[in-house]
Amino acid sequence: MSWEKIGKEGSLLRWYDVMEADKYEYTVGPAGEQFFNGLKEGKIIGSKCPKCGKIYVPARLYCEDCFVKIDSYVEINKDEAYVDSYTIIYRDDEGNKLDIPVYIALIRFPNTKGGILCYAEGNVRIGGKVKITSFQWPLRVKVE
Amino acid sequence: MKVNIYLNKRVAVIGAGLTLFRRRLLETPQEIAWEAARKALDEAGLELRDIDCVVIGSAPDAFDGVHMKGEYLSHGSGGIRKPVSRVFVGGATGVMTAIAGWYHVASGLCQRVLAVAEEKMSPSRPHPQAIFKYIWDPILEKPLNPNLIWIFAMEMHRYMATYGIKKEDIALVSVKNKRNALNNPYAQLGANITVEDVLKSEVLVWPVQLLDVSPVSDGAAAIVLASEDVARRYTDTPVWVEGVGWTLDNTEWPARDLAYARYVEFAARMAYKMAGIERPNKEIDVVEPYDPFDYKELHHLEALQLAKRGEAPKLLKEGVFDIDGDIPSSPSGGLLGVGNPIAAAGLMKVVSIYWQLKGTAGKMQVKKPVHTGLAQAWGDLMQAGTVIVMRN
Repeated sequence: MSWEKIGKEGSLLRWYDVMEADKYEYTVGPAGEQFFNGLKEGKIIGSKCPKCGKIYVPARLYCEDCFVKIDSYVEINKDEAYVDSYTIIYRDDEGNKLDIPVYIALIRFPNTKGGILCYAEGNVRIGGKVKITSFQWPLRVKVE
Repeated sequence: MKVNIYLNKRVAVIGAGLTLFRRRLLETPQEIAWEAARKALDEAGLELRDIDCVVIGSAPDAFDGVHMKGEYLSHGSGGIRKPVSRVFVGGATGVMTAIAGWYHVASGLCQRVLAVAEEKMSPSRPHPQAIFKYIWDPILEKPLNPNLIWIFAMEMHRYMATYGIKKEDIALVSVKNKRNALNNPYAQLGANITVEDVLKSEVLVWPVQLLDVSPVSDGAAAIVLASEDVARRYTDTPVWVEGVGWTLDNTEWPARDLAYARYVEFAARMAYKMAGIERPNKEIDVVEPYDPFDYKELHHLEALQLAKRGEAPKLLKEGVFDIDGDIPSSPSGGLLGVGNPIAAAGLMKVVSIYWQLKGTAGKMQVKKPVHTGLAQAWGDLMQAGTVIVMRN
């Protein structure tokens, strides 16, 4: 609206309020529990569709294509992880410049569907081989 | 048919699925959507690849705590690489989901549609009531810090005052619905309670007391709709969607008559006209009116023209709306008995009528033979009415 351009804010009658956020408690679900309990043991857990054989990482409860329930969980070979794509963050949410840029990588595993976003360090590059250095969520990885 | 709506195809419901309605379900929203959708496909005898499009119903995003819930739910609802749309009109969403599925088929656009409604109310803490804070006018109403129970309380009070209705007459709805819910394997709050229990329960916002209100729940519901030629191939007992109606009244709630649900009346008239119903109280065999609060069921029965204004409590007392009465109302147990995951609760009412008309409602099945049923939901800023009439 035009009055905003001329900046006569103080002369307008308005009402100020704050829309505070509420607290949420999200559940990870049965498949999510398998996945997160796996992380505690340093394992990456996926789930395998009984119909099409597709392996989802992280594990999930149903196959979105076959639409059947998945109850077989498999451990993924974490040494095969690779960087699918990455980005470098230079400023935080409020626009302040970060002292050290943050690398975020999307890592995937061969022959699986899905991927995991994590903090990355090292020689971060697309296709780079990944070593998971921390299983705390979000994961931290080092690219060789 | 003359309601400014022109139909290409007759539409049938051929499958339905529900999850348990519970507080704090372990599964994620996508997982419960999947469970309901899977059951509906199984009942219809279809696979996901047979489905032409998916309609998702979920009330405001804030309940589950994710923004753009339609997109979030899409892979759980079978919507990957298909035309997907999401509808939401607050509490009226559940029945609107069925209506949106219906018009995809009735228009001739699709032959088989999966309609899924999901809601998890329990992630928001301490209570989902806080989510409702920002549906009010930020200048005129918000400074009073209103919540939904306030508004219900004022509506209930006006309803009682206009027609001289006593609280004990209204409490009978809660007694009836929680008793009916004992027959429903999906229900959260089936119980044998008395009017006395309701009147003695904690006063939340006068005259609304704890047992006047439906519980906070998580849950999902789904149906499969198909055009007539397709439906005949999959089932011998299709249930036809004969009439639908939806209305949005003025959303400025203080400007509205609190004693009478005009928005529901208008939606019902639209659906009745489409279904060729002239005397609803003689022609509707079983009804699932929206009952998040006990007086609301009475309010809606009147707006649906199943009772004269102010007379629903009298008919209720006479047993007309009991499971073995003339017009059994909420034989599923309704929101008061089954639970109230908003959008899913509305579609649960459609599912309930579908099972009644198919004759597969099990212990919920009403005593008399049924031919025509009606499900209704209501919500948004308390001014949206949605109605669906089905026949077997």
